[in-house]
Amino acid sequence: MGSLATDALAHLDALFHVARYLTGDDASAEDLVQQTYVRALEAETTFERGTNLRAWLMRILRNAFIDQTRRTKHTSELDEDMPDDRAEPLRTDLAAADIERALLELAPDARAVILLDLEGLSEKELADAMECEPGTIKSRLSRARAALRKRLAAYGRGA
Amino acid sequence: MTDDLDTLLQKLPRRTTPASLRARIERMHVRRREPRNIAIALAVIAFVAVILFVSRRTNQTSPESPLVAEAVNDHLRVLYASHPLEIESGGIHQVKPWFEGRLDFAPIVTFDGDADFPLQGGTIAYYIDRKAAAFVYKRNLHLITLFVFQSHDLPWPRSDRVASETRGFHAIVWRTGDLGYALVSDVAMPELTTLEHKLH
Repeated sequence: MGSLATDALAHLDALFHVARYLTGDDASAEDLVQQTYVRALEAETTFERGTNLRAWLMRILRNAFIDQTRRTKHTSELDEDMPDDRAEPLRTDLAAADIERALLELAPDARAVILLDLEGLSEKELADAMECEPGTIKSRLSRARAALRKRLAAYGRGA
Repeated sequence: MTDDLDTLLQKLPRRTTPASLRARIERMHVRRREPRNIAIALAVIAFVAVILFVSRRTNQTSPESPLVAEAVNDHLRVLYASHPLEIESGGIHQVKPWFEGRLDFAPIVTFDGDADFPLQGGTIAYYIDRKAAAFVYKRNLHLITLFVFQSHDLPWPRSDRVASETRGFHAIVWRTGDLGYALVSDVAMPELTTLEHKLH
């Protein structure tokens, strides 16, 4: 088993990918990932060996991102907490840029839970990363996806 | 289950970590390791230094020190001499005066012998290129020779003491001021060390 710093390097690509879609641009993503590693190394002693390092790093990334957005207020607080009861089929020919734009319109935590789910984190890992009870992660993810679906549907209608 | 939302999300291109960021993170990692590596290196150096120091003090593994080799040779000469002891012991106060006029220095030995290491007597010997006073003690059925000689111009270790085993014999050689001492026998090293302490 390597040091935590060494092991953490293996997750750099995943962290940057998530950070890039959380922040919406490369420079901010780089800052966020660097901040994540700084925090991780400072908190090394709090990491329990044998537990999930990827989920732990993602949690640090998510917290750093939340702190950042609280400071900059660049992201609008939208309605991901409202369950979507008006789901409709999405046009699957939307461009990646549209999807990214829709993602950026979501509240930070909604964006985070969708991106972490896309990274293949299990429900438990998601709950760890999002710092919530495992029993609630499913509904949080569901609400976030509904919010994203709503925006994408609007793009599909030419909004 | 994959739905149309998942299909759309899969369209998001995978973002690759910029090389500059990777380099910065790796540098952080290296910088973090450096103090630990230095600490480990210092610990290793300290450990080696302690081992060398202890080794020098006890010198259990001293390879064929010339001081030890000579002590063993001289001990064997005493053992195999036709008259190993020129003065039979009536105690240190009889043996020491016997050397007067036979040596150009006065051997300083105060240990009179005891039940564990009775003094058997003494004789004149040679240690390397000089005359030496040889005091012979006994441990059970084993003889122990203590050579006392002038210490100048000999290859002393920095610690002024060397202890070693060679050819089945143990020897402890040390220097106190102008005099050198060589204690040699086939008894075990701990017993020889016990006698050394009595002699100090």
